[in-house]
Order: sequence, then C-alpha cells, then structure tokens
Amino acid sequence: MNQFLRSLTPTQQVAALFLIVFGLLVIISTTAFFLSFREKRNPVHDEAWQAELRHYRALLGTTWFMVLIFWIGWALGETVATVLFALIAFFALREFITLSPTRRGDHRSLILAFFVVLPIQFWLVATARFDLFTVFIPVYVFLAIPVASALANDSSQFLERNAKLQWGIMVCVYGMSHVPALLLLTFPGYEGKSAFLVFFLVFVVQTSVLVQHVISRRTQRKPFAPNVSRSFNWTSWGIGIGVASLVGALFSFITPFKFGQALAVSLIACIAGSMGHLVMKALKRDRGIPNWGQKGVGVTGANGLLDRVDALCFAAPIFFHSIRWYFNA
Amino acid sequence: MLAKLTGWLLLGIVRLLTGAQARWYGCPPKAEQRIYFANHQSHADLVMIWAALPEELRSITRPIAARDYWANTPFKRWITTEVFNAVYVERAATATAAAAPAPAEVQVPAPLARAVAAAPAERIEPSMEPLLPIAPPAAEPATEAVNEVQGQLDLPPPPPPPPPPPVAPPAMAEPESPAEAAPPAADPLAPLADALRSGDSIIIFPEGTRGHTGEPQKFKSGLYTLATMFPEVVLVPAWIDNVQRVMPKGEIVPVPILCSVTFGAPLRVEDGEERRPFLDRARAAVIALRDV
Repeated sequence: MNQFLRSLTPTQQVAALFLIVFGLLVIISTTAFFLSFREKRNPVHDEAWQAELRHYRALLGTTWFMVLIFWIGWALGETVATVLFALIAFFALREFITLSPTRRGDHRSLILAFFVVLPIQFWLVATARFDLFTVFIPVYVFLAIPVASALANDSSQFLERNAKLQWGIMVCVYGMSHVPALLLLTFPGYEGKSAFLVFFLVFVVQTSVLVQHVISRRTQRKPFAPNVSRSFNWTSWGIGIGVASLVGALFSFITPFKFGQALAVSLIACIAGSMGHLVMKALKRDRGIPNWGQKGVGVTGANGLLDRVDALCFAAPIFFHSIRWYFNA
Repeated sequence: MLAKLTGWLLLGIVRLLTGAQARWYGCPPKAEQRIYFANHQSHADLVMIWAALPEELRSITRPIAARDYWANTPFKRWITTEVFNAVYVERAATATAAAAPAPAEVQVPAPLARAVAAAPAERIEPSMEPLLPIAPPAAEPATEAVNEVQGQLDLPPPPPPPPPPPVAPPAMAEPESPAEAAPPAADPLAPLADALRSGDSIIIFPEGTRGHTGEPQKFKSGLYTLATMFPEVVLVPAWIDNVQRVMPKGEIVPVPILCSVTFGAPLRVEDGEERRPFLDRARAAVIALRDV
C-alpha cells in the first residue's frame, strides 16, 4: 500500500488524499443522515441528544464546505487558490470591521484596507515576492493607515480606531495570506506537493481547536480566564495541543519533514492557533458577542466566518516563517 | 434585458459588499400589498432594501426615490426607472420652499406656522403638513368608510373636488415662497397613491431626509396619509442597519461592511387614532427593530 502510494506522481497523491477525505465525509454524513431517522421518543435520544446531533450536522456542513473550497483551489491551480484565500480574507475582514465601530473619518482608511492593501498583499503572494510580502503590511501599511486617518481630520479615539483597523488587517489579511504562500514554498524533492502543506496546517490546527473544545466540554474544569473564555483551561489546552501535534507527527509522511520535525512544527502551529482563538474570543467579548455574528445575536448579519478561520489566521504566519527560517525553503 | 443584467450585477455587488441580509422577524416575506417604511441614513438605503427583498417581492415592490438625487443624471434616471422600478417624489422644490419661509414666517397663516415650527430642521415636503386635513377625505373613493371617520376627526368639510393637493398649496403656499413654490403644486404623495392604487407595494422613508445621528428623526405625515387612504394595505416597519457606514454622506466609494434589513410586525392605524400618536408609534416600531 505504502509502496503503491509512493509510486504515484505528486498530483495523483494529492488526488488520493482528497478521495480519502471525501470518502470519510461521505461515510460520516450518511451515518448522520440515518441517525436523524431515529425515533424521537426514545428515552436515550432526548432533546439534548437531538440538539447535539443538529450541532454536529452543522459542523459537518462547514467541513464539507471547507474541503470543497480546498479541492476547488487545488484543482484549478495556485492562482485560483490564492484568489480563493483572498476572498476568504475579504469576508473575514468585512466581518471584523462590521463588529468594530468605525467613524466617518475612517472611510478612506477602510477603502485603503479593502481595495488596496488586500489585493496587493495577495498579488505579492501569487507572484512569490516573499521579501516584500513579509514586510509590506507591518512596515508600509501600518505607517500609511494612520496617515490616511489623520488626513480625515478626526482626532477622537484616534489611536483606538487605528489600532482596530491595523489589527483587523493583521489578522485577516496578513495572517490569511500566509496560507496560500505555503503553496509556493519549495523544498528539495517536494515539488508539486505543497498542497499537502496547506492541508497539514489546516488539519492540525483544526484538530487542536476541536479536541480542546470537546475536552473542555466533557471535563468541566475551572476556566483559567473566565472573563475571556468560559471554556479555556490549561489542561484541555495541553491535551488539545498534544493530540493535534501527535496527529501532525503521524502525518509527517505527507510533509517534507521528518517525524520529530513534524511534531515540532505542529506544536508551534497548534500553540499559535489555539492562542489566536483565545485572543479573538477576548475581542468578541469586548464587543459583547458570543460568536462573530451568530444568527439572532448581532443585527449585522455577520455569518461567523471569522470564528472558523481565526485560529488559522494566527497559526499560518508563524508556521510559514518558522519552517521557512529553519528549512531555508 | 440590459436592465435585468444590470440588476443582477448590482445585486452581486451589493451582496459582496454588504451581505444584504433580510431578517424577517414580525412577518414572513409574503406577496401581499404592503407599505414598507424604514429609517433613512444614506442614499444607498434604497438599494439595500431592494436587494434584501426576495426576488418575487422585488418585482412587485416599488421604492421611493428623491427626484433631485436619483434623476439628475441619465444613468441614475435609467437605473431607478428600469432596474429599481422606483417612484419619484419631488424634493428639490420643497427643499427650497422649506428654506425660504424662515424670513417670511411672520405672515404665514396659523396652520403652516405650526407645520414649520413642528419641523425646524426638516427640509422636506412641508406642503404635506397643511395638506393633510383635506387630503384623506377626497383621495380614495374605495375607502369611504374610513374617510368618514377621518372627516369627523380632522375636518368636517364636504369632500372637495378630486385632486386635493392643488387646493392646499395655493391657499397657503403662496405667502411662503412666491416663485419656488409654484412647481411642487402637485401633491407629492400622488405618485405613491398611484403606485398603491395599481396594486404595487411601496418602500418609503417617512423621515423624509437622511439623518446624521443614529436616531431616526420625527416621521412625516405622508405615512399616516397613505395608511388612511389605503387601510387594506399592510404597513411593515423595517430597520436598515449599518448602511451609513458603507457610504457616508459625501463619499463615493463604498466600503464592505455587513448590513441587514430587519422587518417587523405589521402596524395599522387604530380606529380614531390621531396623526401624531400614530407616527410616533410607527417610529418607535422602527427603532425597536434595531435591537432584536
């Protein structure tokens, strides 16, 4: 089996990966579909059980959607993948800005962020100008945005407004742009298989968030920072990170890394991702919303995309730069 | 065909920028004749509420567009008539009329003085206020029952000749601004009444002008007038959220920010309800939707 997989071309290997993932999803979805036929009066499957099932089905729907996006991105090439991630960054930033109050004076800065910074950043990714791509936002944009705001002649809460906008750009645009950038890293003997790296990162980070969520649900430990998150505690965090890193290490055969290296980079990505999730929770708490616009909560109609991608936004830059530094890729 | 394509393109852009989410809280989207009344903060309100309505309702719902803004270039005129199927209302002429009376206010007759005093900062259709007591009785033959109630309530004159507007402005508008007041002699509500008479739903912004603050301004009486003229039409309040952030006054490039339109439970004019209480109630209903 292993021999057979190794004999395939990189493209076939990636295709096989997608086949496996889609196969798993089909099996899980079919099971969930048949479970929904269960009799509702059965005492074992009461209201709570039904609600849980609904919750899982919603989660499953999101997973399907994400996998499909990745598949389309991979099938149509790196440029399309970059455009796809640019769109995700656009929607995430839209959600972020919606939920952080802006004033009239921010209008020009917002135009700059959405219609200048975002396209340029992703264009830099698509053309693999990694030197400029790394510094474009932290250096040039962060100095340009306050200038645009100052020219708008509105000094009230100036620092706060600019910080919000810069933070939004940092997380949604800069962080997200590092995911397609992984596609362009070149490792010796790993040509054409960069899609695996993206899959590896997303898979590992999502696993850590998911495991952490499930463990904290089951164990009901005392939250460490109850003002920020009612579910975060170090035990479940540690378990989540550990499990996800181990899973990442076991998947080292799809990456250019050895077992130990894969364990290390997964650990880095998981810590960054779960901490990022926590940071975004603090931001949400500050805005008084439990989710980035769950239905019926905010009047804005935000659809919670940021909830799904915030961990990835934090993990991607750190993952990218650490492996680029270590492997000189 | 071109209008359809433009409509789709515009819809795509609006959805990309704002999401244009409709939230039906008080009533389902239903193909009955309705008057949607909403808060007004930006010219884009019109586009937002148009985009938020489902396809089937969009074709039978006509938004109200201010002629001075939406018909001042051929392109805007084309897009409002062909794509939005909008009803134009006059605003420019009455705006000058509102500006004019300030010096002349001393001589104006009592009813108009009341109207002007009630709306110092408003710049829209002051002519609708003096028009009101006379308008309902004459307007609609089909609504005689209500008209009678109306007649007892407001004024008991025998129904004047059919088009009521010419009656009101000549009597009272002349002292306020001799030259400018001549063009808007037509009833500003007439196009809306025509649209309702032909069975369409309409979207109106009873504040008349765009607000600068978060709070909607006082509602103009046009809503009450239409409601009493067409008692069978369902009045649906709507709150348009966030649009002023997408495109503040004076900006031309929109910024992507999520917006939503919340539709609330229908209202109706209670038996014997006066104009001002009803308008305040309608305004409260719109504001209440902000926080659902």
